Amino acid sequence: MKKKKTNITIRELFRKKLELAEVTPDIDLNAKIMQKAARQEFLRFNPGNFNVFYLGGIVVAGITTGMLLFSGSNNLNKSVESPAISSTDSNYIEIQVEKPLKESPVFSTKPGKESINTTHIVNSVVKLNPETPTIKEPMEKNISVPSVLHKSFAKNNIFNQDTIDKKLLQNSLKSESFLVDPQVTAGCAPLKVNFHNNLSSYDSCRWTFGDGGFSTQRDADWIFDVEGEYRIGLLVYNHNGKILTSVATVTVYPRPKVHFEISPEKAVLPNNEIRFLNYSSNAVRFRWDFGDGSTSDFFEPNHTYAKVSNYNVRLTVFSEFGCSDSLTVMNAFSGSDYKIDFPNAFIPNQQGPSGGYYSSKSDEAAQVFHPSFSGVSDYQLKIFSKLGIPIFESNDVNLGWDGYNKDQLCEPGVYIWKVRGKFRNGEPFVKMGDVTLLKN
Amino acid sequence: MMSDPQIIELCAKHNRKAQQELYDKYSRLLLGVCLRYATDRAEAEDILQDSFLKIFYSIKDFTGSGSFIGWLRKVAVNTAITHYHKNLKYRYHIEIEEFVSTETGVTSFEEDFFTSDELYMVLNELPPGYRMVFNLYAVEGYKHKEIAEMLGIDTNTSKSQYSRAKAVIRDKLEKLGKLRNSYSENS
Repeated sequence: MKKKKTNITIRELFRKKLELAEVTPDIDLNAKIMQKAARQEFLRFNPGNFNVFYLGGIVVAGITTGMLLFSGSNNLNKSVESPAISSTDSNYIEIQVEKPLKESPVFSTKPGKESINTTHIVNSVVKLNPETPTIKEPMEKNISVPSVLHKSFAKNNIFNQDTIDKKLLQNSLKSESFLVDPQVTAGCAPLKVNFHNNLSSYDSCRWTFGDGGFSTQRDADWIFDVEGEYRIGLLVYNHNGKILTSVATVTVYPRPKVHFEISPEKAVLPNNEIRFLNYSSNAVRFRWDFGDGSTSDFFEPNHTYAKVSNYNVRLTVFSEFGCSDSLTVMNAFSGSDYKIDFPNAFIPNQQGPSGGYYSSKSDEAAQVFHPSFSGVSDYQLKIFSKLGIPIFESNDVNLGWDGYNKDQLCEPGVYIWKVRGKFRNGEPFVKMGDVTLLKN
Repeated sequence: MMSDPQIIELCAKHNRKAQQELYDKYSRLLLGVCLRYATDRAEAEDILQDSFLKIFYSIKDFTGSGSFIGWLRKVAVNTAITHYHKNLKYRYHIEIEEFVSTETGVTSFEEDFFTSDELYMVLNELPPGYRMVFNLYAVEGYKHKEIAEMLGIDTNTSKSQYSRAKAVIRDKLEKLGKLRNSYSENS
């Protein structure tokens, strides 16, 4: 308590003194903040504040872009034909890269073998090698590329270096790729896919599996653990420095999750009706196998077993994509609750013999000596006095001892009981003990 | 002098004058908040600066429900938390002596015994983690669960840091008090 009081005071002390405390900032902080705010303001384009600065910025940007485009097309020595145009009959996109200019790759699509344009391109590219860096002018002339496309690609090169690969992959998606050859294109997680690279000779290759994984093997096996749609990419580096790319899509469906419980937990066969509680997720179809030859397609079936035995209960669930999961509970009822237990004292009814038949409700006062049991089939109870004289006998588990012997209330004291019999599963039981007869 | 609603409205349009007005009006209060979360004055002013940039930028999001001052404080506190996270890697060390604080018998402190400058000093000397939790819990009045979420720590960490922070503070305040007494005795 003492400690707590202190806490509160420290807390209150600081709160009272500091919650609304004011501290005057340095004067030049004001200027700094306003300056920064203004700069931020300026950088954030706001059409409402359109002014001469924005105009100037746009003009400068325009000029710069123009210049970059111009010099860029000179430097790149390349021709571009958009895959979008030619990919109708092309299987893959071929990228040719000059070694010294790695960061500005030269594109060329290879739509077929017949186009004159393509011949030009290929020829010109072949000449491009590190030793002859000066052949820039003639290239330009040779190549006839739709200017619009050219521009757009040049732009890509200059401003979006890192998106080139993506762009290419996206474009080539349009064509069925022959490099990537997954044997399976869709399946249930975890999905193992075997990828095959159809090219026979190349320098090196690299698979990317769309989930962050990659491989440099020629044929790659990959296991997708998580559901989703994966874009598989293959980059092949050819001997002559060309890059071939190809993509494919693999769809991985989620696997349903099976889970069920048996209720009651410790069922007593055969008579109890067993309820099966289904906690499966992602599933649309269910298949129960109760282990006794019968099955059910219900979500949560009830089932009654005809005889006592060890049953393996199996539930198989299916998702909408046909993915399945199953769970088998072996010996589902082995832990079942066969039992017989006796109390160690009771208080007979003083008013006269009750007969000995009881139910859990009628015998709340514990006036009858009887077992708590389940699954008992054969039963014989005997009660003896301390001297070993038999006093009571019952062959019915529902008939207990009411504490009377020949309509005479027995003396309070200790009596001996012995029980033998069989459970429904065939297991015999023999028990003995003592019980104290109490007086009210 | 503009009223708060006027300031808010004009600031939302990025009016320079209104921004200046807002600064003049609230910078002292907010620096008071920032200083509690900082190691020193310079850091506090850094936080204040970032807070104001945030305020100017997002004032259009202020819905008008709740108090404006409360909103401003919240922005400052959040900025301080961001700052704390950003600088976390440079200050993961906690001096050992901070842990060797004993819970001694002083149970209460007189409110006016310490000046707010002294309290600021005590806060500034705290290890940053303690300072964050203590400020958020004791002064700002957040619950440990909320603090845990804000700082990305466990609720129990928040609780234990708070109680350790208290122990350290108590220690420091006592020393400060003794120092003060010895001065007054001498004079």
